[in-house]
Amino acid sequence: MRPALLALLSALAVAWYLPALLTRLTAHGASARLGLTAWLTGMASVLALLLVALQFLIRAAADGWPRLAEAVCRSVAGGSCGPAVYQSAIFELALGLATLAAALALAVLGWRYGRSVQQGQRRTRAHAEIARLTARKLPDAGTGPGPGAGPGSGAAVVLDAAPRVAYCVPGRPATIVLSSGALAVLDSAQLTAVLAHERAHLAGRHHLLISLARGLRASFPAVPLFTQGPGEVARLAEMCADDAAARRAGRGTLVAALLAMGTGTAVPAAALAATGGATLARVQRLLEPPRRARRARCGVALLTVTLWLALMPVLVAAFAGVLTAGVVG
Amino acid sequence: MRGFGDLETVIMHMVWDRHRPVTVRELFDELRQEREIAYTTVMSTMDNLHRKGWLARSKDGKAYRYTATASREEYSARLMREALADGGDTEAVLAHFVAQMRGPESEALRAVVRRLTERRPG
Repeated sequence: MRPALLALLSALAVAWYLPALLTRLTAHGASARLGLTAWLTGMASVLALLLVALQFLIRAAADGWPRLAEAVCRSVAGGSCGPAVYQSAIFELALGLATLAAALALAVLGWRYGRSVQQGQRRTRAHAEIARLTARKLPDAGTGPGPGAGPGSGAAVVLDAAPRVAYCVPGRPATIVLSSGALAVLDSAQLTAVLAHERAHLAGRHHLLISLARGLRASFPAVPLFTQGPGEVARLAEMCADDAAARRAGRGTLVAALLAMGTGTAVPAAALAATGGATLARVQRLLEPPRRARRARCGVALLTVTLWLALMPVLVAAFAGVLTAGVVG
Repeated sequence: MRGFGDLETVIMHMVWDRHRPVTVRELFDELRQEREIAYTTVMSTMDNLHRKGWLARSKDGKAYRYTATASREEYSARLMREALADGGDTEAVLAHFVAQMRGPESEALRAVVRRLTERRPG
């Protein structure tokens, strides 16, 4: 019982305290890629700790099973049975039920996860099909060396619509959708930057990471690590893609593209209350990149946290194993 | 050589451009002028589009006449709706280049640019 509790408490500690730490370490986007790795490792670590807890619970319940069976047998057979045996039996029964409940809970979580991911995939496929059939090809992308494609990258299509949007729809084949409104405000260098940004998302399989984070949020609706996960993973994925686009097209061009796409929309006053500020943070980061010292510091901190998160389930399992052995021996 | 998926796109645009029911034969005759293509390919592609709900058809003598179930504009509007919902945080669509910005952010964005151009003129 105690090893299971230890693993469970470790999982809860990580799930509740890690988000604040990671949010602080990645606030300036100093090492977006490391930040992304740290978030994903944190999620994996909590899941692994939960599995470790369940495994110890099952083991404890299995160990206690004979005593429970004995008590039941004796009471059915009408033999003599002291209070000590009954007390133990009640404890084992509770343990068994707890194990069953935990296993059921895990099954529910898995089911919710699967449903969330499946719904996302279905909508994405439907969206991609409409984009593929209704949009026209971006004139000089997708073929030749223009601002367009590298091998295996998504083809870009243009949709006749006024709002300025650019996004990628994963799938086979992946599609990058630009609205004609967006195309109208971008020059060809900026267009290259936008396409490089979207291709970086596709190449980095960012949709899988976001889909994973969303599935976990659906599974654990009240746990900070998982409720904040999708937003943070998406934010860091944007920054990773920005880095790739800046390498390809230059920082200045990318910033110009962000500004061209981002400003100039009339917004109803009612919307003023909720300022996300994600684009602003990206622009500031590109214009005034974190100093090298800070970047190094954040990088080392993130790396340390990531390693610790990766090792934690192993350490907890080992320590809890020693604990069990100590109790038995 | 264009892939199969592309033929679906080409056919849909041909149907939309016509604004009236079309037969496989009509589209085949036009397609044949710009590419090497078999009648059965056009037929099966249109059959697929019908099965997937993109084309409606009605019997006219021996042949089917096909129409689009929704206009190109309706599909575009649907895509934009999905893309813009929740500032891009829909289940389907991923990774906007920029999410639709609220007023203060775009204001602050301009302030950043102003500050920058003042500090580093030229």
